[in-house]
Amino acid sequence: MIFWVWVFGLIYAGLLVFASLKSYKKGRSSEEFMMAGGNIGLSLGVLTFAAALFSTFTFLGMPDFFRINGIGAWIFLAISDGAMVFVLLWFGYEIRKKVRGMEFRGVSGLISRCYENKLAGYTFFLSAFLFLIPYVGIQIQGIAIFMDAAFPESLPAWGWSLGIVLIMLTYSEIGGLKAIIFSDAIQGVLLLAVIWIIGWVCLDHFGGIGPMFEKVGSVKEELLSTPGPKGLLTPQFLLASLIAILMIPVTQPQFTTRIVVMKSMNTMKLMAVSLGAFAILVIIPTIFIGMYGADLYGEYSSQEFFAMAFLNDQHEAIAALAIIGLIAAGLSTTNAMIFAMGSELRGLLTGTEKVIMKRTKIGIFVFSTIAFIFSIIVFDQLVLLARVSFAGTGIMGPMILLGILSDRKISPAMIYISLSGLAVFLLSLGGVIPSMYFGYRLDLLLFIIHGISAVVSYLSSEKRMVSETKVNE
Amino acid sequence: MEKKKLYWKICCFAAIILCIITYTPLIIPQGVSKPMLAGIPYSLWTSFIITVLLVVITFIGTRVHPGMQNEEDDL
Repeated sequence: MIFWVWVFGLIYAGLLVFASLKSYKKGRSSEEFMMAGGNIGLSLGVLTFAAALFSTFTFLGMPDFFRINGIGAWIFLAISDGAMVFVLLWFGYEIRKKVRGMEFRGVSGLISRCYENKLAGYTFFLSAFLFLIPYVGIQIQGIAIFMDAAFPESLPAWGWSLGIVLIMLTYSEIGGLKAIIFSDAIQGVLLLAVIWIIGWVCLDHFGGIGPMFEKVGSVKEELLSTPGPKGLLTPQFLLASLIAILMIPVTQPQFTTRIVVMKSMNTMKLMAVSLGAFAILVIIPTIFIGMYGADLYGEYSSQEFFAMAFLNDQHEAIAALAIIGLIAAGLSTTNAMIFAMGSELRGLLTGTEKVIMKRTKIGIFVFSTIAFIFSIIVFDQLVLLARVSFAGTGIMGPMILLGILSDRKISPAMIYISLSGLAVFLLSLGGVIPSMYFGYRLDLLLFIIHGISAVVSYLSSEKRMVSETKVNE
Repeated sequence: MEKKKLYWKICCFAAIILCIITYTPLIIPQGVSKPMLAGIPYSLWTSFIITVLLVVITFIGTRVHPGMQNEEDDL
């Protein structure tokens, strides 16, 4: 296998070097570095959005989620993604209309402007920091664990994590957002190819889709319906997950940035549809891998399942491709998230352009270091941590939507409500307060309360004067 | 333009309805895997159809969205 890892690894590294050199431009402006010049076409747009969305979480997490919780995992992710692309179409138009004629400096900067209150930007930044950095950390850890299983006793897990962080920092420093978008495109193609090859091998083990479910049903019948063997996928859990995932284009800065940097409204809307098709194509093979795991490795730990299904049971070349695919998936997603955090920080800084860029780069370095530390100390299930990350940032959704959609002077009350909601959610995650009230999940209740508050806040606010609107936009 | 607005509203309504019915016993009856379609469990084949419909509605949405009809709307 080592031979094949070298072959595919060198091809991948070569493509990365080519992409970063192609993106590098001496004396480029901060706008070119942070926003790729706002000129991304359809193919790159679809692949970069897909690569930022479908990461280690999809590659490893979803097969494991299907293996443990059964077919309800499709509703958890695919239905939510199908609805999310519709929201993407609607929200994409609204945010592009809002930022027309102004320099977009991240959601934090935009939302501060909308509310005419810096606290709104800081609140959003805080939620992004709290929920994206641990997610980045666990993705890095996922790759490190996988590499450790593939090459035992070559490097400690933290050594792999450190290597990934260093590559990520060097790469983004040289090429900026454009290089990250190119690497996303490489990863998007690689992910789709690898997941289908492995999925096909797993499906072949059963001899078809019908026999697959027949066999899995004989092993554990609960896997063929909701809420699954562990009782996790209840309508309430799935509904709260839907809302959290619907909010991704609104509240996760790496996606919002990608919507804004698309070349035109036309490419943005085609990107939304293509992304929906891409989501279906990527998630289907994860069912096959998950069912394969349920049949053969139902009682194994996640790590053991990954090692068996992705490495040991595959042809050496495919296993090597899986390793490179996983590195690519983790690298591009973590890169996108860390860079987006830098972009958000930039929107909150003041001073000369040179000072802002310097501080932004220091910020990216600090975020990477914190993510690296998390990758060593935090252990959790990939999908469930991703779910917490989506829900945590999703709580900010009503505040952002109100700011962007409203044509009125908005009261800062929504900012305080969002901050309080964030604190309550964090307390429940820490186990200080319960996560269920009157039989309802706290995240679902927070979405409802924040949604109603946003509507009330809009209805009770005064209309803006026309001249005032022009100054702000 | 008025027609586009109406079609866009119909798309929004359809997307919301599809999402709502997904989380009812119509699509996810608890602990029930039948009737199967070509060996695929009930909740999976029905929710697969809903996912495809959502993407199709998004596609129709790109054609009828009232604000996206010309390039003047571009940045």
